[in-house]
Amino acid sequence: MELGRLEYLQALVTEFQVTDSTGNKRRCSLALCVSSVSSHTRPFSLAEAKEQVLANLANFAYDPSNYEYLRQLQVLDLFLDMLTEDNETLVEFAMGGLCNLCLDKTNKEYILEANGVEPIINCLSSSNEETVVSAVTTLMFLTTTQSRAQTTALPVVECMLRFSLSANARLSNLASIFLQDYCSPPQVEEARNLSKHTAVGIPLPKD
Amino acid sequence: KMAAGSSGGPGAPCRHHAQLGACESRAKYREGWRPRAVKVYTINLESRYLLIQGVPALGVMKELVEQFALYGAIEEYHALDEYPAEQFTEVYLIKFQKLQCARVAKKKMDERSFFGSLLHVCYAPEFETVQETREKLQDRRKYIAKATNQRDCFVLKKVEGPKKTLSKNSEHDCPWSTSGSSVASSWDPSCFTGSPGVSHNSAYPSGNQNQSLLTSPRYDNSCAEISGYFGQNTSLTPSVHPGGHTPPASLMQQRMVPACNGIDRFMPRTTHLQERKRKREEGNKFSLIGTSEDNTEVVIGPQLPEIPKVDMDDESLNTSATLIRNKLKEVADSVSTSVEKPESSSAKRLVKQRRRI
Repeated sequence: MELGRLEYLQALVTEFQVTDSTGNKRRCSLALCVSSVSSHTRPFSLAEAKEQVLANLANFAYDPSNYEYLRQLQVLDLFLDMLTEDNETLVEFAMGGLCNLCLDKTNKEYILEANGVEPIINCLSSSNEETVVSAVTTLMFLTTTQSRAQTTALPVVECMLRFSLSANARLSNLASIFLQDYCSPPQVEEARNLSKHTAVGIPLPKD
Repeated sequence: KMAAGSSGGPGAPCRHHAQLGACESRAKYREGWRPRAVKVYTINLESRYLLIQGVPALGVMKELVEQFALYGAIEEYHALDEYPAEQFTEVYLIKFQKLQCARVAKKKMDERSFFGSLLHVCYAPEFETVQETREKLQDRRKYIAKATNQRDCFVLKKVEGPKKTLSKNSEHDCPWSTSGSSVASSWDPSCFTGSPGVSHNSAYPSGNQNQSLLTSPRYDNSCAEISGYFGQNTSLTPSVHPGGHTPPASLMQQRMVPACNGIDRFMPRTTHLQERKRKREEGNKFSLIGTSEDNTEVVIGPQLPEIPKVDMDDESLNTSATLIRNKLKEVADSVSTSVEKPESSSAKRLVKQRRRI
């Protein structure tokens, strides 16, 4: 490996603003992104740097041996916060990161504690395929006896019903599994009736 | 409003098949010689199915499949005539028996020259059946549970897996299918929470414990290389394994235990410094000869990428780097210990012979 390249390295510490549960903004420094100032590299924006860092973290999140470290770095909070970003790519990567690490019991509890289910449900309406697919899987993984009231709420089940009819095989597969393995038949029935009774084109009677 | 779908069933070009534009802004020391796109891999993206584009239309399907079979047993393969392909190239679908074999095969064969043409290999999860996707997610669940010593699972109803899940030696043994007695036949939700050692553990067959431990690292790249190597022993020619069995190789499992803690995957997947250097040196001669080099590499043992020992001029970066380096060293040392044993015993034998003379 050409170590000589490293003499051009300039450490770029990317700071993410994180709002904690008490509403205070605190800085979360992630010293993971390193940039080169050699002429070969075109200058890139902070947004791109953030995307790279987030992608790396999301990939780290695939490996359980990193979970303790990621928790220490408060990356779970970071992922949850990125879900409400305007940048679609950041949302996609953050959702992927959550999908990767949410099966671990400690992480799962942390995400549920932090009211993570709500922003994840919102991701179901994203136009980004990966985001949606990650969100469906994450909801499945996050379902426990306590959380299922939230993760399999009626609007979610209804959404999954629609997804299960999608031409997108990945999405329909996952939605089918959600309906079959995580919802009870009455739940599915209720959602089905809801969509049937949605009067399309018929105005509601005025009282 | 939901525009996440793509028209057409499996076989239609999907967005995740497209090669993303290479990332030009990545730091030079992380780049290697091959530009890599920024991408996040989740269990949804990965698949036993691989899509191979750019195969030259020279009637080389047999050679192609033989090449991929080196990484593990292949269940199915066929050309995809409907898939759009560049002129003079064909597209193939290859289905591996195991996900980790597909992972290694993709890593090694992507962007490889094959009969003069550059292959593009990607996962094709859209070819999975619902059951295959379900099993994929279940496997991921089991892996995490073992890797983190947890037994927390949500069971809504008894999940019907394929019949082979009931056999002791099967890797697909589903924890909740064996705890049938505690899962009601109706959809009564039951959730096993709490630390290991509580009642639900007894439902988990104890005979499985060793098996589980040994198979848990299979998501690790170096383990996958070993299993891929043994996979080659059992199927040199592409053959269909209906139902699929685990290769017997207890030897394989022994070798997997010391080497695999999943540690070397701490490195982001977009950084494989040593791996790329090696590939660069192999160059074009890969297409017909390179496989033996791969075999040699695997026989010696899992080669973890060498980390350049550099002061990155930043305390926290250096801390991370040192942490990674130490763990890798730890793992590498434990591997070399297990390999050295047979050598030392033969050396002893040699000494005895000399005394007689």
